[in-house]
Amino acid sequence: MNGAESRTSPVGIDQERSRRDFLKTAAWATAAISAAGIGGFGVATRFANADHEPVPETVGPLTINYDTYLGLGDAAILSFALQLERLEGTFYANGVDAGIFSGPALAQITAIRDAEMAHVDFLTAGLQGAGAPVPPAPNLTYPPGVFQDPAAFLNLAATFEPVGIGAYGGAAAALESKEFLASALSIHNAECQHRVGINILQGVQPPNDLLFEPTLPLQAVVDAVAPFGVTPG
Amino acid sequence: MEKQTINVPGVEGFAQPRTRRDFFKTLAVAGAAGVAGAGLFTSKKASAQIGGTQEGDAGILNFALTLENLEADFYTRAVSSGVLSGAALGVVTKLRDTEIAHVEFLTAALQGAGATPAPSPTFTFPPDSLASQSGVLQLASVLEPTGVGAYLGAGPMIQNPVFLEAAGTIAGVEGDHVVAIRNLLGFVPPTTTPFPEALTKDQVLAAIAPFLGMGSMPATGGPGAE
Repeated sequence: MNGAESRTSPVGIDQERSRRDFLKTAAWATAAISAAGIGGFGVATRFANADHEPVPETVGPLTINYDTYLGLGDAAILSFALQLERLEGTFYANGVDAGIFSGPALAQITAIRDAEMAHVDFLTAGLQGAGAPVPPAPNLTYPPGVFQDPAAFLNLAATFEPVGIGAYGGAAAALESKEFLASALSIHNAECQHRVGINILQGVQPPNDLLFEPTLPLQAVVDAVAPFGVTPG
Repeated sequence: MEKQTINVPGVEGFAQPRTRRDFFKTLAVAGAAGVAGAGLFTSKKASAQIGGTQEGDAGILNFALTLENLEADFYTRAVSSGVLSGAALGVVTKLRDTEIAHVEFLTAALQGAGATPAPSPTFTFPPDSLASQSGVLQLASVLEPTGVGAYLGAGPMIQNPVFLEAAGTIAGVEGDHVVAIRNLLGFVPPTTTPFPEALTKDQVLAAIAPFLGMGSMPATGGPGAE
């Protein structure tokens, strides 16, 4: 894993992997279903793809969503992620520039802005490195008043972060490149940390308020960001 | 056509521990600086204390289960210790409940896959870590990034996408915890890093070895000693 040998082209690096995984999923799901009656660990399945492989819809308290991103391909997933980061990064940049925050709140919003911009840069470089097109910046629109009212801004931030978390959390397991997977998990984690940072600014007690960070199916993400001018690449 | 390369923070941290210096700094905070000298020797000993199914995804989940048991045990003791109050008590109580939920989830997932969950080792914690609110938060500030790093490092090795997605949702929560603890420790802003760090298995084992009762083990090792 050391050095340049592992830095192969990120897209399509291991075409066989998803097929192999899929077979293993099927095997695991079968085992899980057979065990579901024992100890009440519920597993529901759906047939959500052309090959009719069963994918667990829920596993215990979790809803499983990676299968809704299968078939997009790494470049499309990264491209959509880039648009989400642009949505967030521009939002926080406007929040910093608006002059409505000061002190610790301003420091936090600034740090989140910088992180989202770092994600934008990273994903842009990733797409370029893979020889994939970088989508043009979307025509972003935000609800009136969010950059005049700190509470409204934080409420929207508290809406954006779970969408980003749900998107990365759902899409990660659909990525074929392990390098992109590692990065997606790291960025996902950063988004989770942003969510709690916003919780703190909103006075949520305790700010670590979730047992699991839910994932979202692709369509839910698409629907959530469409009003702001973001469409999947 | 020449292959393009990109900087992938997650993989870089996983394959080549570029955070070694920072990592040993956090070990020092835990009062476990001696472990750094023991290196692989300690890691192997610590690894041997993780039971249950060891192969493949189940092995990774059992490794995670052991970390969750460690955290759940520490926060359970912390809440019972009586040294916490106010916002810190609220946060740590939720930490306890959350880590217990992760233990239950991983246990059920392993059983569902026909694997044997690793029994929880007997953990020991430095007395200082449970003697004051500050002690609890200091140790928590070591445990949580270790948990994040372990999930981020192991995630790309998980073959089953269902397990992978589940691991991601748990890793994210450990990230939540990092921020909640940093906030209690007075870091402004509490949320900073754009790319939370992955850790190698040896790094994680070295971090948890002191709590497996090996913190005071004499450093008989050294290069080549097994």
